[in-house]
Amino acid sequence: MPDPMHQFEIQRIVPLDLFGFDASFTNAALFMVIGAVLITVFIVFAMRKAEMVPNRTQSVAELAYTFVANMVRDNVGTDGMKYFPFIFTLFMFVLTMNMLGMMPYSFTVTSHIIVTFALALMVFIGVTIIGFVKHGAHFFSFFVPKGVPFILLPLIVVVEVISYLTRPLSLSVRLFANMTAGHTLLKVFGAFVVAMGVLGGWAALAFMVAFTGLEILVAFLQAYVFAILTCIYLNDALHLH
Amino acid sequence: MAGAENQSGAENGEQDSESIRRRLETLDGKLREAKGPSRPPVDTEGRGRAMGQAFKLSIELVAGVAVGGFIGWALDQLFGTKPILMVVFLVLGAASGIMNVIRTAKTMQGEPMPGHHLRTKAARDAVAKDDED
Repeated sequence: MPDPMHQFEIQRIVPLDLFGFDASFTNAALFMVIGAVLITVFIVFAMRKAEMVPNRTQSVAELAYTFVANMVRDNVGTDGMKYFPFIFTLFMFVLTMNMLGMMPYSFTVTSHIIVTFALALMVFIGVTIIGFVKHGAHFFSFFVPKGVPFILLPLIVVVEVISYLTRPLSLSVRLFANMTAGHTLLKVFGAFVVAMGVLGGWAALAFMVAFTGLEILVAFLQAYVFAILTCIYLNDALHLH
Repeated sequence: MAGAENQSGAENGEQDSESIRRRLETLDGKLREAKGPSRPPVDTEGRGRAMGQAFKLSIELVAGVAVGGFIGWALDQLFGTKPILMVVFLVLGAASGIMNVIRTAKTMQGEPMPGHHLRTKAARDAVAKDDED
């Protein structure tokens, strides 16, 4: 049986050593570049000659724009539109990475915890800085829930701070675990199809077809959840309760 | 009734295995009767959603403990108070994990989060719907 985890292996394409750090151009880096180029080319090409009555590609680009814009406006408010470019980039990047991973022979960048954790940490640090810039020391009141007895306060504040610090971890683990679990399961069932042969493989194949559909849904949904949670964290930082 | 055949002795192995085979067959038939003709179809989508929610809640819980434990460990390294702070922060981390789970569960039920609110219904739905295999 082929190794279902082989698909997650990082392979160096262009070995590169930068001051003792291994900064090789890997297959993960390759797919990130492909994704970034794809997004840029698609958006630029779609909006090349913007018209009042959009053609197909233009309407897809506008759909993506309005989808994220409404998400930001609904969850953060109009003053959150300042941060729209960041959230749009984040959403498109995660979505494209997840969708590229659904192609056969491709590599799923978001199935690596270090990638999703770096993204989540970027969101977390950015949102915290925004909170402090906007509210100054008043931002600490975020960790003090209303209506808590005075004696319990030291305990509750520590618990709230830990709960705040778990955000990047739960945000990244959710995306990473969803992608890794789904892709591993797909490979395992792919091996079943081959192992069970022409007679028995059809049931596993039918399951794979259905599961691939579910995986595409999960790929979209996880990008959406990642973006909307970023919006919610941003809202928490901008508008203290 | 099959028990009587079984008494025939250890030396008669062939007959023994024959009787065992027969008993297994009758048992198989009885089992099939007990199970009924066919099982009711399973609700895959509902199960998938429930799995997703359980998955999400467990991540929240584990993340709290992990982050608490890590903070305690780091502070121990800093102050040289080897096991004490890690124990304390593991417990605090578990508390914050449970708090997060309660908050998430409340949003799944459609209640606004106390303190940290989701402003729209769409946001709550998104959190509640977070689907997985």
